[in-house]
Amino acid sequence: MLPFLKIMFRNLLRGPSTEPFPLGPARTHKNFRGCAKFEPEKCILCGICRHVCAPGAIQLRPSEDGSGMEYVLWHNSCVFCGMCAHYCPTGALTMTDNWHLVHLGAEKFSNCIDEFVPYDECPECGAKIQPRPQAIIDKIGYRHPNRFLLCPKCKRESIARHAAKVHNKTEQAHP
Amino acid sequence: MTTANTTNTYTLPVGPLHVALEEPMYFDIQVEGETVRGVQLTAGHVHRGMEALAMQRNYLQNVTLTERVCSLCSNSHPATYCMAVEALSGLTIPERAKYLRVIADEVKRIASHLFNVGIMAHLTGFDSLFMHAMEVREIMQDAKEGVYGNRMNLGQCVIGGCRRDIDEETAAFLRGQLEQLKPQLDELYGVFERDPLIRKRTRGIGLLPLAEAKRLAVVGPVARASGVAYDVRRKAPYAAYPELDFEVQSDTKGDVHSRALLRLREAVESVKLIEQCLRKMPSGPVCTEGMPAVPRGESVARSEAPRGEVFYYLRSDGTDTPQRLKWRVPTYMNWEALQVMLANCQVADIALIVNSIDPCISCTER
Repeated sequence: MLPFLKIMFRNLLRGPSTEPFPLGPARTHKNFRGCAKFEPEKCILCGICRHVCAPGAIQLRPSEDGSGMEYVLWHNSCVFCGMCAHYCPTGALTMTDNWHLVHLGAEKFSNCIDEFVPYDECPECGAKIQPRPQAIIDKIGYRHPNRFLLCPKCKRESIARHAAKVHNKTEQAHP
Repeated sequence: MTTANTTNTYTLPVGPLHVALEEPMYFDIQVEGETVRGVQLTAGHVHRGMEALAMQRNYLQNVTLTERVCSLCSNSHPATYCMAVEALSGLTIPERAKYLRVIADEVKRIASHLFNVGIMAHLTGFDSLFMHAMEVREIMQDAKEGVYGNRMNLGQCVIGGCRRDIDEETAAFLRGQLEQLKPQLDELYGVFERDPLIRKRTRGIGLLPLAEAKRLAVVGPVARASGVAYDVRRKAPYAAYPELDFEVQSDTKGDVHSRALLRLREAVESVKLIEQCLRKMPSGPVCTEGMPAVPRGESVARSEAPRGEVFYYLRSDGTDTPQRLKWRVPTYMNWEALQVMLANCQVADIALIVNSIDPCISCTER
């Protein structure tokens, strides 16, 4: 009869199962997907984060003087899905375990990541190019790191010069 | 029996906002005394135009969008959507990702079923049992947060595989949670099976006979409790289900009580499935490299959500945005059966019977 009574008394003896936050600490798992964190020095301005962001929380705005891009992520539009962090090729964008997002209503439009990411310069012609931090060199530019730092135009020229050199060498070896 | 009022019957409106309904649903109920004589169902209170939204977002954004169709089956939707996209673009997901998808699906299933039986206890007026069921469910909620990072939207599926791998440490944590859950689940099953209050309120009401279940083509636990042992995981296995050993639960009574017990038995099966996955999971990549190219064409995918079969249809015109994305959710098939289940029941049982199909209105009206 009434098999629940046993459970009820056990639960009563155990006391509350809720955490005493804010008087005590709230347990947060290390895998928790909270507030996004952006490291501008790792960003290559590829825009994949903006492409995969369903709520449109991410904007990349070219600066007026053409020296770089403004990177904006609104925490209030973010749905914490973590797609941006999953697709980010350099790990510039990560999800932290920080869930403390309380702010005043007056700050709702300024509660965002707002960083400036400057363009790199091509070491040969000085043209403005997307930044090439070490993370992306290690990932896709490791075969020819020097050529990887060039702008598209100089890169084509470098490849063409290299191809011509190889061609001339084979011509000389097998006339 | 939905004719105008006569001298003996009157119309009782239930919903769209009603204390006993978890989600907005509107019933015009013809009542004779305390007995229900006819039901008219009006839908559309939580329509958000999600299928139209899906046509304005690219394939990758839609993973997040479909995850937000419904919170209780928030893994079944993106998983099935990803299956449809993968079928169209000819992607094969890595072996490990198949197991990870099963784990995510089953974790969600346990939490969803416990929520439903908890609400059933609440509707019978047995609130301390409701609280206890929710407390047991909290073990699974904690597992979700610890493994995936969120209590509801796991964010596990992505086109081409999964996002988050389960390493040794996380696997140990998940196993620990399951070990905690198992005795609690058994105990809860005993209470739901034997408690005189629960039995009195839920046995023999909301009957759906086998013939009616077949006629209305109901799916999920509603169908299985009426003797139709239909489970997509068995009939059309996907992900890692062909390699896993599990029993399709079924019953023949087809009342509110049997549906609740069936859900609890399925939760026990789900625990076994997760344990098998953690044991059998091969090592390797969890996601394919690069972005899939989705060619022109159409595809379908289906899977077993906690409430039954969920079905996705996708048509692509070769661009990065779907031309059409349509989904049919289990509640759409199941709520028609309410006409049969509610016939001649008592007014006090309406909420219990409605809850026994585990209605998900936000899925159905999206």
